Amino acid sequence: MTFEIPFGPQHPALEEPINFMFEIEGERVVNVKPRLGYVHRGIEKIAESRNYQQLVYLSERICGICSFAHTLCYSQAVEELLGLEVPERAKFIRTILAEMERIQNHYLWLGLTAKEMGFETLFMYAWRDRETIIEMLDMISGKRVNYGVNTIGGVRRDITESMTERIEKSLDHLEARAEYYTKVCTKDPSILKRTVGVGILRPREARALCAVGPTARASGIARDVRADEPYAAYGEIPFKVVTYRGCDVASRMYVRIDEIKESIKIIRYALKNMPEGPVRVKASLKVPEGEAISRVEAPRGENLHFLKSNGSVKPERWKIRAPTLANLLSLCRMLIGVNLADIPVVIAGIDPCIACAERIALIDVKTRKREVWSGKDLWRYANEWYRKKYGL
Amino acid sequence: MEDDLFRNLKEKPVTLQFPYERVEPVEGVRAKVAWDIEKCIGCRLCVMICPGDAIQLIGRGREAEIKYHVGRCLFCGECVDVCPTKTIYVTKEFELVFTNRRGMIIHFRRKKRKKTS
Amino acid sequence: MVSEEIWALIQIFLFPGFLFLFSLAFFTEWLDRKIVAKFQNRYGPLYVGPKGVLQPIADFIKLLSKEDITPSMADKVPFNLMPVLLLALAITPLFCIPVIGSEALISFEGDLIVIMFIMSLIALLAFVGGWASTSRFSSIGGIRAGLQMFAYEIPMNLAMIGPAISAGSLSISKIVDWQLQGFWNLFLQPIGFVVLIICLMAHLQKVPFDIPEAESEIVSGWIVEFSGKKLAFIRLAKDFEFVLASALIVSLFLGGPYGPWYISPIIYLVKFFLCVFILSNLRAAFARYRIDHLLTGAWKYLTPLALLQIFLIKIWGF
Repeated sequence: MTFEIPFGPQHPALEEPINFMFEIEGERVVNVKPRLGYVHRGIEKIAESRNYQQLVYLSERICGICSFAHTLCYSQAVEELLGLEVPERAKFIRTILAEMERIQNHYLWLGLTAKEMGFETLFMYAWRDRETIIEMLDMISGKRVNYGVNTIGGVRRDITESMTERIEKSLDHLEARAEYYTKVCTKDPSILKRTVGVGILRPREARALCAVGPTARASGIARDVRADEPYAAYGEIPFKVVTYRGCDVASRMYVRIDEIKESIKIIRYALKNMPEGPVRVKASLKVPEGEAISRVEAPRGENLHFLKSNGSVKPERWKIRAPTLANLLSLCRMLIGVNLADIPVVIAGIDPCIACAERIALIDVKTRKREVWSGKDLWRYANEWYRKKYGL
Repeated sequence: MEDDLFRNLKEKPVTLQFPYERVEPVEGVRAKVAWDIEKCIGCRLCVMICPGDAIQLIGRGREAEIKYHVGRCLFCGECVDVCPTKTIYVTKEFELVFTNRRGMIIHFRRKKRKKTS
Repeated sequence: MVSEEIWALIQIFLFPGFLFLFSLAFFTEWLDRKIVAKFQNRYGPLYVGPKGVLQPIADFIKLLSKEDITPSMADKVPFNLMPVLLLALAITPLFCIPVIGSEALISFEGDLIVIMFIMSLIALLAFVGGWASTSRFSSIGGIRAGLQMFAYEIPMNLAMIGPAISAGSLSISKIVDWQLQGFWNLFLQPIGFVVLIICLMAHLQKVPFDIPEAESEIVSGWIVEFSGKKLAFIRLAKDFEFVLASALIVSLFLGGPYGPWYISPIIYLVKFFLCVFILSNLRAAFARYRIDHLLTGAWKYLTPLALLQIFLIKIWGF
């Protein structure tokens, strides 16, 4: 006898609204249906009435936590259309800030997953250590979130000598804390009982459902845009792509903690070998015609922006594909067969950022009814439209 | 985990007791901007570059006055970078609270020069 | 004659009666929150009263003044009765615990069994409350409360019977007396002590065993539909349960109050706060277990350990 439980849009386990309808038998999940669209803000529509320079700030606000990855992706797309070459020092500064954002995101994720498991103490400790990296970002850019440092043609702020010293000290502290969390997460019995063997995603399924980011890397698939298609300064910095083969939430935890340590190494290398030079080149507002795709490894996975320009100062079409949208199908696959008590842990395991993932919702203005179209409706609508147009 | 718990018993809590203890804003903090209106030449560059439509120019040329909507400002600092006469500067006020919407629009007026006969 | 009745009234209402118990319940909640906050590197209650001591009272008064909503599909009679019953059942056993000297206000042969029975009733009321609320989340919480009772009831009762077997009596006051003439049960029955602490964490529904009211999964479990005065009474009842658990540990294993009438309450309070510290420490150090982990763990480890303790008492003779 199945029992339907709604999860969200308002729920203490979620920071952003998303709706799952679970069908439960006893304490096991047999089916799940996701619904998106509660945070749809019409960003892609606004983009058609702003010029390219203003859109940098709009792309920052797609998501609060992975904001730098979105601006980086967008700026790289526009620079590809303009044929602009960014100075070397700007590339290194971009790399350093991207890695700092990755550290900040992974500490936040550790605290949230601990809170879903009921482990408040680890949540408080992880967020206390996150303050260290946020202060560094505040020192460089002037803000704690939505930094506003990236721009078309380079970066707007520079990293000075005194900043470098303070960054090195905070990196030492963060490395010690990451070692401590590795020790806690591999030895503490209550954490191990809650995360090992939970939310299994086999490598074959991960490949078929196009999982990205640490979710895929925890199933043994070495997929990382920084290594496959190097952008910014990643081609010149040696680093390791972290994979584990456990396929469960515990492996995702270990992947993320190891990625913190890798990011610290990358920042140290970049700070030591940063070239001198300007940080910005002037870019024209008018962008020639063309299409560009740019990919960036956001902390959650692969971020993809598609930009189409028609020669004026405003873009024609801007499409954003955020990593959480790519991981949603894998999430639905992972949730089947899971215990009711483990649902928040598994959902938190893919690091969901619902603000990044958007979908169209159609509203009939006359009857004030709201419907969400599935793939079948779109296919049927397309067929009818073409039939009417060509009189078949 | 136990040893860390007991170590934290002896240390001072990390919470800042706001509003009695505050953090000093950093050197390059992004906060509310202000105009040194006597230097403005009315070139309209700040109006065109603002991503949030927060700046409004009234009048022309050397008589121009500025209306600044704090509620729409992103604190990005583009207007500061683009101004040719360095009229716009960043203040350190980031704790902004207003009690009505009209108070959020700041009008920078010029001193009227009295015409001598 | 008259002075005896006045003395009895003072004892029931002031000390160690209602006034003392109410202030002890509020103080225990404040102490628990402060200890957990200090472990987590933050402050805890700070502003209401000196160092935040009056914060639990402020929370209680605030909840009393909120709107009281009853879901339309709920069973009215169990739903409305349950918080009051819970509060009454939580306060009653506290009169049997000795605070001054080794003689409690109400002590008779078999009051230990009555206390065990009332504790089972309290756990059952959680199930009734969750079931009568007829909401999806609260029924799951109620079912989990019932399942959790299967796990910890037997080891807890066995661990509490251990001191009674050694003392040869089923009255808590006599057990305290027996300990004062020998050693504390903490040194004689350490396995029973550990088993009792773990089972009491499960009875009080505190992390790592706060499964029926898991906040991040089922949004407060069986408490979710209660609001206003009912929620105030349920939270107060939880504080009293905490006091009862610590008082039981103090009386059964740590020797209870000791000395003449002006010193024994102080000694009792010192041991009491030590127990509160231990229980809060355990609360801050673990994640939440799942219900099937608790069931398998309890039947694989806790029950055999409790049985082992009983055998050891029989073999060693104390």
